[in-house]
Amino acid sequence: MTDDLLPPEKLRFSEALAELESIVGALESGELELEDSLARYERGVALLRACQARLAEAEQRVTTLMGELEEEAADE
Amino acid sequence: MTDAPRALTVTEAMALAKRTLEGFSLRVMGEVSELTDRSGYKAVYFTLCDPSAVMSCLMWRDAYTDAGVPLREGLMVEVTGTLTVYPPKGRMQFQVRGLQAAGEGVLRLKVAALARRLEGEGLMRPERRRRLPEFPDRIGLVTSPRGKAVHDVLRTLSRRFPAAEVALASVQVEGAGAPAAIVEGLRAAAASGVDVIVLARGGGSYEDLMPFNDESVARAIAGSPVPVVTGVGHEPDTTIADMVADLRASTPTAAAEAVSPACDEVEARLVTLQRLLGRGLLHAARTAARRVAVLRSHAVFRDPRAITATAAQRVDAAAAALPRGLRRTSREGDERVRLAAQGLRLGGRRALERAGETVASRAARLDDLSPLGILARGYAVCYAADGTVVRDAQAMGVADRVCVRVHRGEADCRVEAVRLEGDTP
Repeated sequence: MTDDLLPPEKLRFSEALAELESIVGALESGELELEDSLARYERGVALLRACQARLAEAEQRVTTLMGELEEEAADE
Repeated sequence: MTDAPRALTVTEAMALAKRTLEGFSLRVMGEVSELTDRSGYKAVYFTLCDPSAVMSCLMWRDAYTDAGVPLREGLMVEVTGTLTVYPPKGRMQFQVRGLQAAGEGVLRLKVAALARRLEGEGLMRPERRRRLPEFPDRIGLVTSPRGKAVHDVLRTLSRRFPAAEVALASVQVEGAGAPAAIVEGLRAAAASGVDVIVLARGGGSYEDLMPFNDESVARAIAGSPVPVVTGVGHEPDTTIADMVADLRASTPTAAAEAVSPACDEVEARLVTLQRLLGRGLLHAARTAARRVAVLRSHAVFRDPRAITATAAQRVDAAAAALPRGLRRTSREGDERVRLAAQGLRLGGRRALERAGETVASRAARLDDLSPLGILARGYAVCYAADGTVVRDAQAMGVADRVCVRVHRGEADCRVEAVRLEGDTP
């Protein structure tokens, strides 16, 4: 299962969170082999770190599609 | 003298004029001049004029406050009311009951007609409204690059959910070119792959908000491939953009809040997932350990020779019996029997060896499942004095002797203290 997975930091936040939730579900089901459980656990921890890092980002990324943003004080 | 009606008194004449004039309700448009608006006065006085005439107006203060249109000289207004006469001064004046900025009435009628038409097409049906994504990865923001609205939205998004990326389409939101610019902004945002779009602007006069009542803007919102949230700061007016949007927020800030989860709520959810993840792994490890323990307790694995023991005895017995039973036969026969017996012994030994190999290979595979593998990763198994595995801290008491098995060995230990889950450490 680990071959075709993207590195967590390449995933969108919502995708990482959804995958994390499905891993927790699979682990809790108790139907996995131990090796598989460990692999998923490691993946889960990586996803968790990626999500937390995203939330902790100090600055939001803003891309400009049209026009330019003016400074806040401009019209006050 | 004559039959002519008797002359009226001045009072009667003025009363007659007053009654007559007050019978007609009029709507009049003109420019405000000579405004007198003093807080002590019961009414506001002003003059309406056009290039060739003037009209004195009064408006009772409560009606003026209700109208919500602050008068200033030079403003074009539309007033409704009646002409009346003020007998003590013999002066005619217009008593204003309704007041609005000129042109607004016409605009409102047009907007209402468009709203009805779009509603008739079903664009405002509640079931058309889409759910907003719970965790948007990209948020489109279509608004003016100037003013408070854009910064209110950006600040709110950055405070609540910095994980999302914002794609800003800054567009003109007032004036003749605004509708086309807003439509293009909505299109560009959707094309850039956003999950939800905020269309925002700060408050303004009814006329300022007209681009948000534009049919092309309304259709662009209704046809947007991703949900659109409007945040047009102008209660109590609802624009057509608000009516066809997937969600109408009352201000730009409220719109930003509507499209973003609160960061601390998301963090709390991650903490919960972290705990469940650890618990899930532990659960998986325990399940595997239990399966190994069950297998290991099987008699076969306690003594692998048990598998072949019965067969081995039968071979021995047969080998022993054969020469005795055939002693009377010729030497040749004897020799054949001897050879046969030897062959049997060899065959039996080979069969035994094969069985032994099978057992050995099964045992090796069992090793793969063995808890030793888990121990190598840092887990430990704790055995009680009677050799059973301790599965629950509640089974341990202070001063109990236990044996802790770790990777490559074990240690005899004595329990100093027992802390159960939930106890404060």
